[in-house]
Amino acid sequence: MSHRETSLPRGFESLEPFVDYWVRESNDERRAARSTAQMEDIREFYDVVVALAPDAITYLEKFPLDAMPDDATRLFKLLLAMNHAAIAVEMHGAPRAFDSPWPAPVRIAKGPWPYGGSIEGAEIGGGFR
Amino acid sequence: MSAVLQESPAQAGKKHEIDENSFTLAAGLGTGPVPIEPYASPAYFEKERERVFRRAWLYAGRMEQLPEANSFFVKDYEINKASLVISRGKDGRVRAFHNVCSHRGNLVVNQSCGVAERLTCRYHNWAYRTETGELMGVPDLKHFFDFDKKSCGLTPVACDVWEGFIFVNFQKKPEVSLLEFLGPFGKTYAGIPFFNLDETIVIQADFKANWKLIADAFAEPYHVPALHPATLAPGFAHPEENRYARPLSARAHGIHRHFSAYGNPQYVPSETSKVERLVYVQETGGVLGGDSAENARALTAHPAINPTKNPNWSADVTWIFPNFNIDYSTGGFWTHEFWPVEYNRTRWTLKIFIPKTMNLRHRLQLEHYACRWSEVVLEDVTNCERIQRGMESGAKTHMILQDAEMLIRHNLHVLDKWVNADTVAEALQ
Ligand code: FES
Ligand SMILES: [Fe+2]
Repeated sequence: MSHRETSLPRGFESLEPFVDYWVRESNDERRAARSTAQMEDIREFYDVVVALAPDAITYLEKFPLDAMPDDATRLFKLLLAMNHAAIAVEMHGAPRAFDSPWPAPVRIAKGPWPYGGSIEGAEIGGGFR
Repeated sequence: MSAVLQESPAQAGKKHEIDENSFTLAAGLGTGPVPIEPYASPAYFEKERERVFRRAWLYAGRMEQLPEANSFFVKDYEINKASLVISRGKDGRVRAFHNVCSHRGNLVVNQSCGVAERLTCRYHNWAYRTETGELMGVPDLKHFFDFDKKSCGLTPVACDVWEGFIFVNFQKKPEVSLLEFLGPFGKTYAGIPFFNLDETIVIQADFKANWKLIADAFAEPYHVPALHPATLAPGFAHPEENRYARPLSARAHGIHRHFSAYGNPQYVPSETSKVERLVYVQETGGVLGGDSAENARALTAHPAINPTKNPNWSADVTWIFPNFNIDYSTGGFWTHEFWPVEYNRTRWTLKIFIPKTMNLRHRLQLEHYACRWSEVVLEDVTNCERIQRGMESGAKTHMILQDAEMLIRHNLHVLDKWVNADTVAEALQ
């Protein structure tokens, strides 16, 4: 096996510059990443990830959702982050909704499985304890 | 703006008809300005605490949170300074208890949920039966004096279930049953086929505004084109046919209420919304979520849902007094809990029920769904904090409500009755 120069599956090398910033563990962390990014950076990530998304989906569909090899998991998380970039690019034309402050009082206490993240007690509405 | 509206052949050329009958007059309400004191006054808030939140039936959770005998969960009610344990017995009965130890008052359970036969207080290991709250074991019992085990169980709280929704009542002996409290609402909305109860997306916020401001934000669609121009307006308003997102219907059901929201079921994301187009499972029908046509049909066939059976329907918002919403759409349903903390502080939980993740594409769609929701509510929550400041400034004494804001007027009307009535029976009239 030769040394891998990319942390992503072969064919998705052009996404490498975005791994550090956009690979996040939970829905709420991805939202925070987008909300605090500059618009040019969001747009750059968006353009690259959207172009590769159909191939990435085809590639990832052969693995079980929660048991992918590490490189595929990273690619999966980039696709999840793509949705957040889309909120900025396709809806607001800005990182966040107009007049909305950051840090914001809203949080996604529980996201969809897998890699949605969950704050203890969120399911029962007791997540504030 | 990312919306395009596709016309189906059946609807081509047919304009959407807006119901111009007054919802407000039909509900028997007045039409004048209403005082903002209930939002900005600490004294009014104290009355709400005593007369509303200590007398009304309050939401606790869903039956799915108690999947088997001895399942339990803890629910805190800060407004009543209380922590409750809700449990399910072998007999299937749901019971609620104060989560307070009979020995020296410690909180017994300090995890959010679980399954266990006994609940043990960790101060001195007194143990209670999860099902019934009875005291089971006391270490070193012989050194207590005249000990009566039977009278030392967890303190019960009235608890009942309607359509899988668990409610509690803090009155020692509730003046009215849950069914009486729900009144005509309970009858009209019985038998709705719920689906996608497997999983939830939970969005929460702890913010500086009166609890009714956020309840009001979900009670009227008039603000959608202005406050949610990109996140919601494309699906819930129409630049020609329904510019101000006028509701399809809005009615009072005793002390509770609903409105039906307009939406174009032919809404599809525009060409430039590449991600939205990529991740949306296109064969589904809902404006925001989307689900199998079969589930959607069963829901929309129920007489309570979209009661005028308007084809341009998106969702029904039902507001159960005082602070709970159950909302229905073809994409599934969601609930809101608006919990007062102080007169100008609220904790709010939105729980969106979703199906289990089916595959990669579905997972991407769910992420987009959660993202959009959190964005919509961020717009609402930050706006509520601004309104609170405006209301507390003393610049205004009243607010002016239009017909589409009928639910807000109805709530203030009912609230005032509860705050002023000496008995619940009187409050319900
Ligand atoms: S306070 Fe609970 S065992 Fe002592
Ligand atoms: Fe809103």
